[in-house]
Amino acid sequence: MSWREAIRLSNVAFAELSLQAVYAFRQGNVLPPGRSKNLVARSQRRVLQSKLVISAVLALLTLGAAAILHQKALNPEILASVPVGLFQSAILTGLLSLDIALLWWTGVQVIPTLISSGVLPVLEPLPIDPRTFRRVATILYLRLFDLPALTIIILTPIAVGIALGPLAGLVALPGVFVSVVYALALSLLTGRFFLRRVQGSRGGGGRAVVRWAYLVLWLVPAFAMFAFITAAPAFFRALGGLAAQGPSVSSALLAAAFPFSFAALPEIVAGGTSSIAILSPTIDLVLGVAAALYLALAVWSVVWLARSVRTLLFLPVQAPLGLPTTSSALRPMGRARAVLVKDLRIASRTPGYAFLILLPILDAGALGLLTYSTPAQNPVAASLALGAVTTAALLATFFGPAFFAIEVVAYSYGRSLPLSNRSVILGKVALICLMYLVASALIVGFTLLRFFQPFTFVAFVLVELPAVLGAAFLELGLLFRWARRRGLAITNLYAGAWFAVLVSIPGLIMAGLPPLLFDLARPSGVDFGLGIMALVAVAELALAAPVALGRGAS
Amino acid sequence: MTTTSPDASSVPLALEGLSVAYGERPAVQQLSLTVQPGEIYGLLGSNGAGKTSTIKAIVGLVCPVAGEIRVFGLDALRDGLAAKARIGYVPETSMLYEALTPREFLEFVASVRRMDATTATRRMQSYAEAFRLEGEIEEPIATLSNGTRQKVLIIAALLHAPPLLVLDEPLNSLDPRSVRIMKDVLLRYVASGGRGVLFSTHTMEVAEQLCQRVGILDRGVLRGEGTLATLRERVAAGDASLEEIFLRLTEEDVGVRAAVDSLGDPSV
Repeated sequence: MSWREAIRLSNVAFAELSLQAVYAFRQGNVLPPGRSKNLVARSQRRVLQSKLVISAVLALLTLGAAAILHQKALNPEILASVPVGLFQSAILTGLLSLDIALLWWTGVQVIPTLISSGVLPVLEPLPIDPRTFRRVATILYLRLFDLPALTIIILTPIAVGIALGPLAGLVALPGVFVSVVYALALSLLTGRFFLRRVQGSRGGGGRAVVRWAYLVLWLVPAFAMFAFITAAPAFFRALGGLAAQGPSVSSALLAAAFPFSFAALPEIVAGGTSSIAILSPTIDLVLGVAAALYLALAVWSVVWLARSVRTLLFLPVQAPLGLPTTSSALRPMGRARAVLVKDLRIASRTPGYAFLILLPILDAGALGLLTYSTPAQNPVAASLALGAVTTAALLATFFGPAFFAIEVVAYSYGRSLPLSNRSVILGKVALICLMYLVASALIVGFTLLRFFQPFTFVAFVLVELPAVLGAAFLELGLLFRWARRRGLAITNLYAGAWFAVLVSIPGLIMAGLPPLLFDLARPSGVDFGLGIMALVAVAELALAAPVALGRGAS
Repeated sequence: MTTTSPDASSVPLALEGLSVAYGERPAVQQLSLTVQPGEIYGLLGSNGAGKTSTIKAIVGLVCPVAGEIRVFGLDALRDGLAAKARIGYVPETSMLYEALTPREFLEFVASVRRMDATTATRRMQSYAEAFRLEGEIEEPIATLSNGTRQKVLIIAALLHAPPLLVLDEPLNSLDPRSVRIMKDVLLRYVASGGRGVLFSTHTMEVAEQLCQRVGILDRGVLRGEGTLATLRERVAAGDASLEEIFLRLTEEDVGVRAAVDSLGDPSV
């Protein structure tokens, strides 16, 4: 069969994938009431919308990088120590790294849905020759990334071309191609890793800790962005040092590192090797050889991807053999707590949910460390710690609503249980508060080691708690009312998560208002500021709780 | 809490004029039936006849457009949580939380059903042993076969010993041994008095073996109801099997012959 036939079959498979991603029927969701017509077309529109959102983020990043490349004078402080060419190569390195991170993260989020949707196994009994089948699998996999990948491939060379000249734009193309291929390959590798080591892992206790540790690794792509932004000043300082030193072993290592070896190429074309300052004929050779090797690896990855995608889509989730089974006693608990424990257990085997729990906590750890490393005499140090607690509250509030999606999984069973919306909402609210409290404890722990003002920090965390509770109640109450009416699954990036984002806006305002008022009132005294903050936070909770626990919601 | 007369409160399930629709498309129309205490009631029908829609309405998964559902006298549409507390449900497709193990899933169900640890553990262990599930009780559900998932759902339905079981094709994917166990469990279950089972199937032999009464659904409408003997009388066929009765009541007997004739020789 031809490529045309493979594309036709992949269209059918992708329609099914979209339907499952949005409505999660295979995961137990039920048909939305009164909206059974055009489900497939609607789900495909939602998937397209989600792809457009990711593409828009990538486009913004590219345009931002282009603006920095173009407006070199915006960074006089950095340019005083880093040569322009090296600076521009570093910016392009950052852009390519972020492109890989975002594409990889997209894959990480979507691949479990691709596998659980079982779209390819449905085609297996049909008389389709293996080559066509492989093509269908490859096309289907590529379609997960099509618009975002095309955005990178088209926009990056144009952006570089505008900033550094048309030839430089053209030379940027191999680096862009290699980055996209690596992101796709990493997604596939981590997808297999997820199936084998995380979803198939059993038991609690120590093994749950191991699972959570694996899931921290899963967050690497998302953290790459965070790390790049926060580490940028230190990175540029190091580059300044390298430039001052001239060609050295360190600069050879930098030249050999991916994606710098590609990011330097447009600059070499535009300004010559001298513009980068750290290059020499030997280092030029290192850079050229490294780029050629990375390109060769990318070509090999394309072949590997084409061969391996099919096996990923048919890979059964397998439990490891030989582990002793734990005690099979049941320990029933309260309903809201049961919802919380169930969500934590599911999150420990599901990267998408683990990400939501771990990100605020890891972020708090990073910010806490930052506070710890700030000189004690620095007047902004205390504000930094309180700002970190506020960030933890905002992140927990922003990500919390996504846990609603767990309720859509196995919906056809869950709704048959005598479990009120109120219990479910209480369980989810408890999870959001737990995320906030664990993150805040980390920040306060680090802060108290440095600035021993227990009352201010602990009181700030506790006074903010009602605002976090209020925000969580408001968000989940609105989500329950909306989703029950529409029967949608908010299970992943492609599942119309826009409403979860939308309800986060009032939630973020609620969680952010008390710290803002504290900051405004603080000149009149910390106690006064905390008092104002407490008053507003409790009022917010009193206003928001009925939205979730009132008659309409339950 | 809404209750009716004491007699009605002993009736496991009563549907009155139940209608379910998906948008413009009706799935069940004006369905009335009763599951009596000590009875296994078989709901029969072709694919798309409305069996699953009826069951989903009973357990609160879809909202009927008209009619009443009473579970031991409780109005299930108004007092859904109290009605659900009295029901054990096995869905048609084994949709579970894939990331949990059977033990974790059953622990969640036991928590929601407010069971005590001793009873929940005892029941889980005895059913797991009967269905030979002990080795898989700590495996993630994602790794289990369809038959094993079905066993997990059956255990979840039986865990709190509910007075009403609502089972949607519960024997699907089960091995012969487990089918036999399940049939015996159901017969003993209703023999203990006061309990009822609504059982949907399109396997006539199973219905003939298990059900005291059957209702035959066709395109959302109840075409006939009663014991095998009363249905035979109704179609005026003294020794007809349930399959023949089903085909006559749904007026498919002629259609089946015509369909087979139109196929001709399958090898051609």
